[in-house]
Amino acid sequence: MSILEVTNLKKVYAARFGGSRVEALKNVSFTVEKGEYAVIMGESGSGKTTLLNLLAALDRPTSGEIVLDGMQLSRVKDSQAASFRRDNLGFVFQEFNLLDTFTLEDNIYLPLVLAGRSLQEMSERLMPIALRLGIKGILKKYPYEVSGGQKQRAAVARALITNPKIILADEPTGALDSRSSDELLALFEDANAQGHTLLMVTHSVKAASSAGRVLFIKDGEVFHQLYRGNDSRERFYARISDAMTMLFTGGESI
Amino acid sequence: MRGVFYPRLALDGIRKNRQMYLPYVLTCIGMVTLYYILMFLSGSEYILALAGGASVGSVMSMGAWLCAVFCCIFLFYTNSFLIRRRKKEFGLYNILGMGKRSISRILVWETLILFLLSLALGLAAGIALSKLFELVLARVMRGEVNFSVTVSKNAVINSCTVFGAVFLLLLLNSVRQVRFSSAAALLRGENVGEKPPRGNWLIGLVGVLLLGVGYRYAVVTENPLSALLLFFVAAAAVIVGTYMVMISGSVFFCRVLKRKKSFYYNPRRFVSISQMVYRMKRNGAGLASICILATMVLVMLSATSCLYFGGRDALYARYPREVNIDLTTDGGDIMESDSALDLRGKIEQAAALCGGRTDDMFFYRAAEISGIIKNGVVETDPKTLDNAAFISALENLSLINFMPLEDYNAITGKNETLQNGQALICKQGNTPDIDGRLSFNGGGSFEIKKRVESFGVNGMTAMAGIPATILIVPNLRDAVSGLDALADYNGNRMMTFSVHCGFDTGLPDDARRPVYNSVRDFCDGIKDGSSVTRVYFSVREDGQREFYGILGGFYYVGILLSLLFIAAAVLIIYYKQISEGYEDRARFEIMQKVGMTKKEIRRSINSQILTVFFLPLLLACVHLGFCFPMLRRLLMLFNINNLPLSAAVTVICLAAFALFYAAAYKLTSNAYYKIVSGAESR
Repeated sequence: MSILEVTNLKKVYAARFGGSRVEALKNVSFTVEKGEYAVIMGESGSGKTTLLNLLAALDRPTSGEIVLDGMQLSRVKDSQAASFRRDNLGFVFQEFNLLDTFTLEDNIYLPLVLAGRSLQEMSERLMPIALRLGIKGILKKYPYEVSGGQKQRAAVARALITNPKIILADEPTGALDSRSSDELLALFEDANAQGHTLLMVTHSVKAASSAGRVLFIKDGEVFHQLYRGNDSRERFYARISDAMTMLFTGGESI
Repeated sequence: MRGVFYPRLALDGIRKNRQMYLPYVLTCIGMVTLYYILMFLSGSEYILALAGGASVGSVMSMGAWLCAVFCCIFLFYTNSFLIRRRKKEFGLYNILGMGKRSISRILVWETLILFLLSLALGLAAGIALSKLFELVLARVMRGEVNFSVTVSKNAVINSCTVFGAVFLLLLLNSVRQVRFSSAAALLRGENVGEKPPRGNWLIGLVGVLLLGVGYRYAVVTENPLSALLLFFVAAAAVIVGTYMVMISGSVFFCRVLKRKKSFYYNPRRFVSISQMVYRMKRNGAGLASICILATMVLVMLSATSCLYFGGRDALYARYPREVNIDLTTDGGDIMESDSALDLRGKIEQAAALCGGRTDDMFFYRAAEISGIIKNGVVETDPKTLDNAAFISALENLSLINFMPLEDYNAITGKNETLQNGQALICKQGNTPDIDGRLSFNGGGSFEIKKRVESFGVNGMTAMAGIPATILIVPNLRDAVSGLDALADYNGNRMMTFSVHCGFDTGLPDDARRPVYNSVRDFCDGIKDGSSVTRVYFSVREDGQREFYGILGGFYYVGILLSLLFIAAAVLIIYYKQISEGYEDRARFEIMQKVGMTKKEIRRSINSQILTVFFLPLLLACVHLGFCFPMLRRLLMLFNINNLPLSAAVTVICLAAFALFYAAAYKLTSNAYYKIVSGAESR
């Protein structure tokens, strides 16, 4: 069963006074199955971030349709967009986007507090997640007191705690050292194994190789996709690498 | 090319930070304008020529100096916001290879541009407006109107020097900040939350104590003269106390709020409380500054308004009737009823000269001496008077008037009776209540039969400015027989014997003057062949000009300075909100991504700004409440003792200020919201 369906998505940015128009997304269609771990890969300027913004209802497409678990995103009113995100989506960002006015615990609670949940429910939900992510001991610390890897784990906890229909991750390993990156990717695989649906945008082959499927996006279109199948991680890494070389070093056909 | 490089960079910097610099420049212009006007009025020939003009002139120049000192402090404060915003930019320049010397050059240009701009526009506005202010002041002082426009060279030069010095100090401070911080430090924003200060409870405790001391002085001090001295002590204690209480209070408050989980984890408060905790110290200091400015405005505005609107009371206390005659005698036979009757007859003749309205005429004799009243004993010995510590003596110093019962009954139309050795007592101003018995160290002792209301026709004691106690006795000669002999160091008799009288003429305005003159001539003749040694003749109309000159001048300066302080308070709030808005912007962006709706943002902002605004106003009201008794006593120095009027004027001032404040609230909250939500409309 597909949880996310994207059909013929198009996004055109127009300069303020008419003039030049930039087609960030030309025609993007794909689906993500429930419980899947998918990755979108592409170079800078390929339209990855635009796509993610559209999926997150942070921006509206020029044409095309996004359906999340049977809900059409175009039907969501602007004033409802934020609460839609809160109830249905989880986010992990490259720059963590933790609030330095909150302790890690309060950062993780933020979406639940906004949804008006009780403290008891919040802490019941947090405990297993905090244990799994290994951040139980640092919950009372502020973001500026912990390392990048710890911050990102707190951000993952914030995404997981609402039990979202899909977790969107935007270059989550971009600001991390390699060890923290590995740990984070392991956490993602773990979360996926627990039944969470993940969609990650990245240009790191290593990050992509932890997923079940990789979609390649170039010049505003989905160009190609690879399924991991029963490949080992190393084997999948090599395949992605090859595909990248083909795709992005000038080879027009595959 | 090199020549225009730095000025261009400086101009660009100002233009790009318009939102910060515009209010700053406007304030500078406003301050120059106000300073010029005050300076101009203090030296205005036209004002100085009006009745009471000299005192108004000195009030104005005092106001101008106060304004200059305040401008200096205030511009330093706002400038710190600007520097904080610009540090990142300078850090970037520094990393790109611009030396600190060059950055300082940009700062020099920037300051120069701002200075010239504020000075030119401020002086232009000042010169344009000064005539208007002069006319309004003349109107307030009830003077003639004159329409010639002048520019005061002195005021222009003064404004240039004072503001030149202020801007130079600002420049030195900015350069110092850039010089002594590394490029990395300049680049780094402050992302670390404030830690609660150590010994927070101690700061709070000291603050509360200081407030207590200030309040106690304000409420307990009885005598207006010592109130004047203690006013400054109390004010200083309250200012320092406010800062301490606000800072430690805000820290304490934040902690308590955070600890109350069910209160904290609420969509409406979660974000605002955490942001308050994040800046708890800065918040406290900002709130305290706003609170103190608000208090200053309220106290100044209500004090000067009370003075002005109570001016009639003061005038009538000093001049009970249109024409007032105070005679000094050598004692002796004036104490006898017969010669008093004789003198009264002469005053009635004087009254007859003006059309003879003798029904509202008053006439009474008084024997006057000053002494210190303590525990029902009056100390009149000059040596003791001198030796007593200055303040504590002032505390209880009083004029003591003896007045014969028959005169009292005649004025009040009552029919009181007294036995020998008994007396009625009447207080004017704040003197200790006396019950039972009052004895004099020099001789004499009286059983106080009862207290009576003031009969309000004692202009001379009203003028003296110290409280008076009036003893109404059955027989004047018997009552003062012991005290009469007292003499001071020079051998002069300490007791004076006077006769006070006055009457209204009921004549139209233009017919009074000639009649007054003939009455004066007649009264001078009273001296001949009587025990009268001196005649003091005073007319209310003369006093009126002087009174309204001074009180109107106070009122005027009060309003001008209140405007200055209000502008300052609003600006502090504005800068606080704007600079925090820029800091919070990224946070609100994140929160929106995580799922905070615009409505929730608006609500959270409202609850945050509401505290920022109304907490200081609330505390300022408390300050004002405690200040009010002291204010009343100070007003008594001017013989304004009208509680309902003073209270009403104060409440009106408070309401007007609150209204103004609420408008500022609306404005800043919009500005904050715009900045914070600006990121979302991408």
